[in-house]
Amino acid sequence: MIEIRIHGRGGQGGVTLAKIIATARFLKGDSVQAFGLYAAERTGAPLQAFCRYDREPITNRNLIYEPDHVIVLDPTLVGPAITAGLKPGGWILINTDRFPYEFAEQFPGYRAATVDATSIARRHELGTRSVPIVNTALAGAVARLLDFDLESVRAALEHLAFRGRNFDAAAEAFERVVIVDDIDRTGAAPRRIAPPTARVRGIVDGGGAERPGIRTGQWATQQPRRREWTPPCNHVCPAGNDVQGFLQALALKQTDEALEILLRTTPFPSICGRVCPAPCMESCNRLSLDEAVNVRELERYAGDHGKCSLRPRSFRAQQIAVIGSGPAGLSAAYHLALLGYQVMIVEGGPALGGLLRTGIPPYRLPRDVLDREIDRILDLGVEVVRNTRIDRRRLFDLASEFDAVLVATGLAELRSLDLGSTGDDESVMQGIDFLDRANRGEMRVDGERVVVVGGGNTAFDAARSALRLGARRVRIVYRRTLEEMPAIAEEIDEAIEEGVACDYLTLPVRIERGGGEARLGLICRRMQLGEPDASGRRRPVEIAGSDFRVEADRVLLALGQSPDLSVFPEGTEVRDGEDVLGLLQTPVYAIGDLATGDGTVAAAIGSGRRAALGIHSVFSGEDLAPPPTRGEEVIRSGAMKLHLFESAPSHHGMSRPAEERRFDQEEVHAGLADPAEAVRCLSCGVCNECDRCVTYCPEGVLKRVGHEFIFDYEYCKGCGVCAAECPRNVILMARL
Amino acid sequence: MTLELVTGNHAAGYALAAAGEANRFARGAACGIYPITPQTEIVEYVAKFPFSKGRIIAVESEHSAMGVSIGASMAGARAFTASSSNGLAYMTENIMVAGLYRLPIVLAAVNRTLGPPWNIWADQGDTLYLRDFASIQLYCETNQEVLDSTLLAFRLAEDRRILLPVMVIMDAFILSHTQTETDLPEQALVDDFLPPLLLPHQLNFDHPATIGGLTWPRETLSQRIEIDEAFERVPAAYEEHRAEFRRIFGRDVGGMISMEDTEDAEAVLVASGTIASTARQVVRQRRRRGERIGLVKMKMFRPFPGEALLDACPKAGKFGVLDRDYAAGLGGVWWHDLRSAMQGRRDGAIVQGYLTGGCGGDVTPDMIDEVIDDLLNRRSAGKPVWKGIDR
Repeated sequence: MIEIRIHGRGGQGGVTLAKIIATARFLKGDSVQAFGLYAAERTGAPLQAFCRYDREPITNRNLIYEPDHVIVLDPTLVGPAITAGLKPGGWILINTDRFPYEFAEQFPGYRAATVDATSIARRHELGTRSVPIVNTALAGAVARLLDFDLESVRAALEHLAFRGRNFDAAAEAFERVVIVDDIDRTGAAPRRIAPPTARVRGIVDGGGAERPGIRTGQWATQQPRRREWTPPCNHVCPAGNDVQGFLQALALKQTDEALEILLRTTPFPSICGRVCPAPCMESCNRLSLDEAVNVRELERYAGDHGKCSLRPRSFRAQQIAVIGSGPAGLSAAYHLALLGYQVMIVEGGPALGGLLRTGIPPYRLPRDVLDREIDRILDLGVEVVRNTRIDRRRLFDLASEFDAVLVATGLAELRSLDLGSTGDDESVMQGIDFLDRANRGEMRVDGERVVVVGGGNTAFDAARSALRLGARRVRIVYRRTLEEMPAIAEEIDEAIEEGVACDYLTLPVRIERGGGEARLGLICRRMQLGEPDASGRRRPVEIAGSDFRVEADRVLLALGQSPDLSVFPEGTEVRDGEDVLGLLQTPVYAIGDLATGDGTVAAAIGSGRRAALGIHSVFSGEDLAPPPTRGEEVIRSGAMKLHLFESAPSHHGMSRPAEERRFDQEEVHAGLADPAEAVRCLSCGVCNECDRCVTYCPEGVLKRVGHEFIFDYEYCKGCGVCAAECPRNVILMARL
Repeated sequence: MTLELVTGNHAAGYALAAAGEANRFARGAACGIYPITPQTEIVEYVAKFPFSKGRIIAVESEHSAMGVSIGASMAGARAFTASSSNGLAYMTENIMVAGLYRLPIVLAAVNRTLGPPWNIWADQGDTLYLRDFASIQLYCETNQEVLDSTLLAFRLAEDRRILLPVMVIMDAFILSHTQTETDLPEQALVDDFLPPLLLPHQLNFDHPATIGGLTWPRETLSQRIEIDEAFERVPAAYEEHRAEFRRIFGRDVGGMISMEDTEDAEAVLVASGTIASTARQVVRQRRRRGERIGLVKMKMFRPFPGEALLDACPKAGKFGVLDRDYAAGLGGVWWHDLRSAMQGRRDGAIVQGYLTGGCGGDVTPDMIDEVIDDLLNRRSAGKPVWKGIDR
């Protein structure tokens, strides 16, 4: 009886090679057995296959421990194991491109042969280029070594229906196999192996924790690697906030930590938590599952309930003037102060806050919240000069007195509309001026019919304020549709709830004085939507002959604002974060809406911070600005395993009923009662230590130590279960 | 006769399919199937087979697989299925039901170690523990025996004197995944051997009946006694069908037990499955050295052919039972049954149990030699001896 042992890896066809040899002998009339030693049936795992043949019927059914010959399908398996039990004088056939002489030396007492079955298989296009099927070639080599003719291999392959070029590969290997047939009989007798006999430790005495002796990491063809992504919310936040970070802190009910994360980038979490249009929520991957995480309300929660104050990280002697105390100027002052600089804010009016104070009504942003967040900045030691307007000459003075000047005067030029007779009785006002006076308590519109022109937040703030100041009726006219309105959707809804009427696709044309019930008549024209314009919004087109009159005692214009650049020399180009003048070698930056025109508090905060970091880099050479995120580093919903998350409705904070709130200036929203909403954050692309990978690792080779996840690559077989189970795509499989 | 190189799984699948196909002029073949290593290739084979009449239904569990086969059998189909290990454990309730309904279902079982821990290799514990159900068990030694016994199983099961499920059993991998030369008989011969099935209690719309409802103790007892009587008829019926098998296929399917040099043997090994092959080889070698030892290969487990065994070993005073199983707190199941059979018939004989090859361990000729040496040196039986591990 001849017994052959085959050493291969899962997927290489070792069992089939045993079957080919057995078939060849079977067709010659032998009794045969072909079998594998089955265990972990994984690609790449070392496995053994066996073949027996004999002229007499084979009766024994045990495994083969003392083979007559061995065949090695994969040269990386060459080691002491391949000669275990091998009978002296037996063949060792190895699939390798090397000559057999070194193996003959390595394994004295045996006959060695090599054949490059991998190249032969590739040449005959058997299997794929990465996983060539080498067994038919090796069958040819075996026929040569064991003196059964090539025809019997052909017959076996035909019997098994292995057609195509399999036989060509066998024939080539038959010819090419290189043989060392001079046996060193002086070699030591091979060690005999027997079935394992020692009793292993039982489960009760903890034997289950023993590491396997085989370093199974060698089997791997791929390995898991961790790689974090930028969540879309962080990517789009104009202020540069770590949205995912503070949400995860809140999810763990760590409100103070959440606030600290926010305060690293913004001085105004309580403000943005009330007035931010929240582009993070528009980009939230959770929208593909149910509703966006209510980031705005959670930021408010962190700002209102967290306790944390950052201190300047060092002392720096440079003095920096900030002109304007809107959100951009305050943000710049805040970040500069945190970096240790000596900051003085120059404000034209009596109070700090810019549009935050003059433009946003207290029922949306209570004044105590605003004052508290401004105090956070002043507490860092920022000095303030009020009621001081800066013109071009004063700017030069400041540039010579200070080490750097930041200009953050915002959008001081109000856009207007030629409606003919506007009069001078304040019956036609700019919405911003109306709000400023209303917010200072210097305005009433009792019993008036108020018409607001525009569709932005100023228009809605003015409309809702007019209601609170006694207006009989308030309506907004807007030349496009609800879809195109730039105001925050929630504010539009609330205004309508409170009774503000909206006329869409309506263009004010002119004002008539008298001729009706009210002081004024606003003549409007119906519009329809035409082709998209440069902004992608469909351009409204007038409908001829559709003019109609809207009765109005007061018309408020909220048509947007433009920067007032008169403080700079003629022709100055203003770009965000860039030194505009080079006056006296003093850096002068224009920031916020003045430079960007973005028009949101969040964008102003980001602009102020960028300028602060830019100035710091000029003075210290230290670049603290985070590198810009490229689009491909942002994780989109398609890369998230959303099926692993359960749908859960979003938490919305309580609002006071419209019929109650529309008559006073108290805050409309109560905010969230608790931070439970933060649990809905999917932590896209950022590990939040959910431990799912550790739980699912079938080999126990992944563990967490503190905040660190450690793969034991010595034992990791590269099965990929951790990567498949990571809900947020933080684990990727790398090809080895 | 045309020999092919096939695995034990292939042999079982071939026989199940051919038997099902042979019923194409009656109610056809039908069964539920569910995969589990190492029997999956069996159900894959029958699932791919182009039955002329019948249906193979993939279900969500072994319990349902047998459930489908029960329904199909009651409707007159030739029904079968296959499973292993924990799959058999999950199927257990319906294996019991099939027996109590007296349904001639053939169950191909590939012996695999019950888990945990997870172990896919051979151990007879997964079928031996079904010993108390109304089901005949046949253990096989070669792929040919798997194929032949599967065909025989249908004849035995469908015999109106019997009407019991039959389990055809093979060792995981040693048979299920080992290719050896095997004769795959033509369909025409199988058709001859397995006539169309007409189940006496087949469900019939013209004669509605309630089956399996509540019965009083007395009526239930009489059902159990009928089953007991059916088991008593098994040995004689088996020999009849074995003779018929020889007439049609020209070879012996093997006896309920088969003997190697037992007439004058003083010590006898008792083995089943593939261990019998290796044991036979060792027994023959030692016979040639003049030792008076023999071997009884046990093919049938239920009913337990104890009397036949003792009749075949008139001189033996020592029996060494090789069990590839372990019944917790007891030892080997074959050993236990043989001791019972001895009671009052060969009192004073030494019946020693050896736990060999359980949990997938390999049984080598050396191990059999050690067993024989131990048995020959014994003056009394002791606790079962664990082999393959130092204790």
